[in-house]
Amino acid sequence: MMELIPLIIWLIQDLLYIVVFPGLVTILVLAIVIIWLERKIAAKVQMRFGPLWVSKRIGGALQSVADLLRFSFQEFIVPEKSDRWAFIVAPGLMFAFSMISLIFIPVGPYYSYLFPSYYTILFSVGMIIITPIFAILVGWSSDNKFSFIGALREAFLLISYEVPFLLSVASMIVLYRTFNYVDAVAYQFRGLPGLVLNPLAALTLLIVMIRTTGRFPFDITEADSELVMGLFTEYSALFFGIGMATPYVELYAFSLIFSLLFLGGWWPAPLYAHGPIMGLIIPGIVVVVKAFIVMALLVFLRAVYPRYRLDQAIRSGWSYVLLLSVLSVLLSFGEVMLLR
Amino acid sequence: MSEVRKPRDPVTGHIKALAKGFKYLIEPNRMTLDYPAETMKLPPNYRGFFTVDDVKCIGCSMCEMVCPPEAITMVPRIVGSGGKTLPAESAPQDQKAAKRTKRPVVNWGKCIFCYFCVDVCPVDAFRPTGVHDVAFYTDREYRPTYEEYLNPPEDPYKSSKKVVSKADKKRGVSYEPAP
Ligand code: SF4
Ligand code: SF4
Repeated sequence: MMELIPLIIWLIQDLLYIVVFPGLVTILVLAIVIIWLERKIAAKVQMRFGPLWVSKRIGGALQSVADLLRFSFQEFIVPEKSDRWAFIVAPGLMFAFSMISLIFIPVGPYYSYLFPSYYTILFSVGMIIITPIFAILVGWSSDNKFSFIGALREAFLLISYEVPFLLSVASMIVLYRTFNYVDAVAYQFRGLPGLVLNPLAALTLLIVMIRTTGRFPFDITEADSELVMGLFTEYSALFFGIGMATPYVELYAFSLIFSLLFLGGWWPAPLYAHGPIMGLIIPGIVVVVKAFIVMALLVFLRAVYPRYRLDQAIRSGWSYVLLLSVLSVLLSFGEVMLLR
Repeated sequence: MSEVRKPRDPVTGHIKALAKGFKYLIEPNRMTLDYPAETMKLPPNYRGFFTVDDVKCIGCSMCEMVCPPEAITMVPRIVGSGGKTLPAESAPQDQKAAKRTKRPVVNWGKCIFCYFCVDVCPVDAFRPTGVHDVAFYTDREYRPTYEEYLNPPEDPYKSSKKVVSKADKKRGVSYEPAP
């Protein structure tokens, strides 16, 4: 019995690392910051002020906190004709699966001792791919034409952009010859970052990221000028907040994947290190900063782009993006042949 | 056969757009006002809330007829001392003695601030108040009684900084404190 105590302490400690560091707390802070940043960047480019009324001194940075508080205390209304259970459960599942994908994304070498798995790339990608299915469920269960059209659009886009997504990840798997993030990062430590090795895959993944997280120019499922709020038209209170936050969690997960696969992971920090400080906190901060830069770049697109029409988005999905991803796989094969 | 579409250049347009956006990000060119803290000083006859001069008005109902959204209702009044009017209910028992007339009341929920009524009035009885932005919190506040209509809403942003806009060659528009 006595031997178990240090084990339990160790377990709790490690769980805390996971909850605090790549997980919940960081996401909450990042989501709040990135939402504010998105609105502020868009406002700057579009000659406006952006959020300012809450906490004027620091440029309205607390606006998202205020919104979150407001969402938490609002009344939650379930429409009479909605599919009650699906309506309540689907947004939660959507959020949950985008969070679960984070577990498989190691932000430091120490992390992979906590969750030893050889197939982390596959698991995280698989979990992220599941989330749009719940988005479709959300739209279907609301019994609202706007949500339904949003769900249909989501389904169309899901089909057109999933193939390029998987191909771009597959091309990196081919290149690194591993299914594991830590080995992929190790490969980049030995040579060049993935962005240089296979820029086509990086570009494809970026485009797919924009599409899956519904950033401009692909915010077709939300399309507030046509569909009110898209999938989440009927939602209120915290559930609406979840619906709003899920794309940001996905964005975070995607950006982490991007920085691990293409930006050299925790590059200036040491590759293998033991202990939570050198093995998790410092490399984690490096990865999160890289991911944050990617996120900031993507939210910047909101300021520049108008929205694609559905058919345009689908056409470019099946033409340019698919072509890019196929080329990226070929490029990876070519490099593997040459480097061997 | 439908016309074959030339494929558009998929790259340069995006790069140009991103570069332009980035330029504005580092050199923001703000055109809007920090609204409730700063408000525009508007010219005196800029169409806003208006009230009627009880003494000047002759009750001809021209304003009611011309109003496009039918926002004006004529309420029955009786002429009291000094040209001021009194509510019709306060008419003396001797109905003949009371001089009956009508006065306009505007429903702010309907009014589109076209000022046709102001223009059409033969005796120039309407008077702009210089108040433009008022929020009403209940439906009832939209529909003033005649007595309420004589005292139009107050400017809620009286204490805010007043600015005037100025054409600016470089920025498009700029603001400076009102004189
Ligand atoms: S301003 Fe135009 S809409 Fe308003 S009361 Fe006068 S005529 Fe009617
Ligand atoms: S306000 Fe002018 S137009 Fe309207 S009833 Fe009076 S006098 Fe006639």
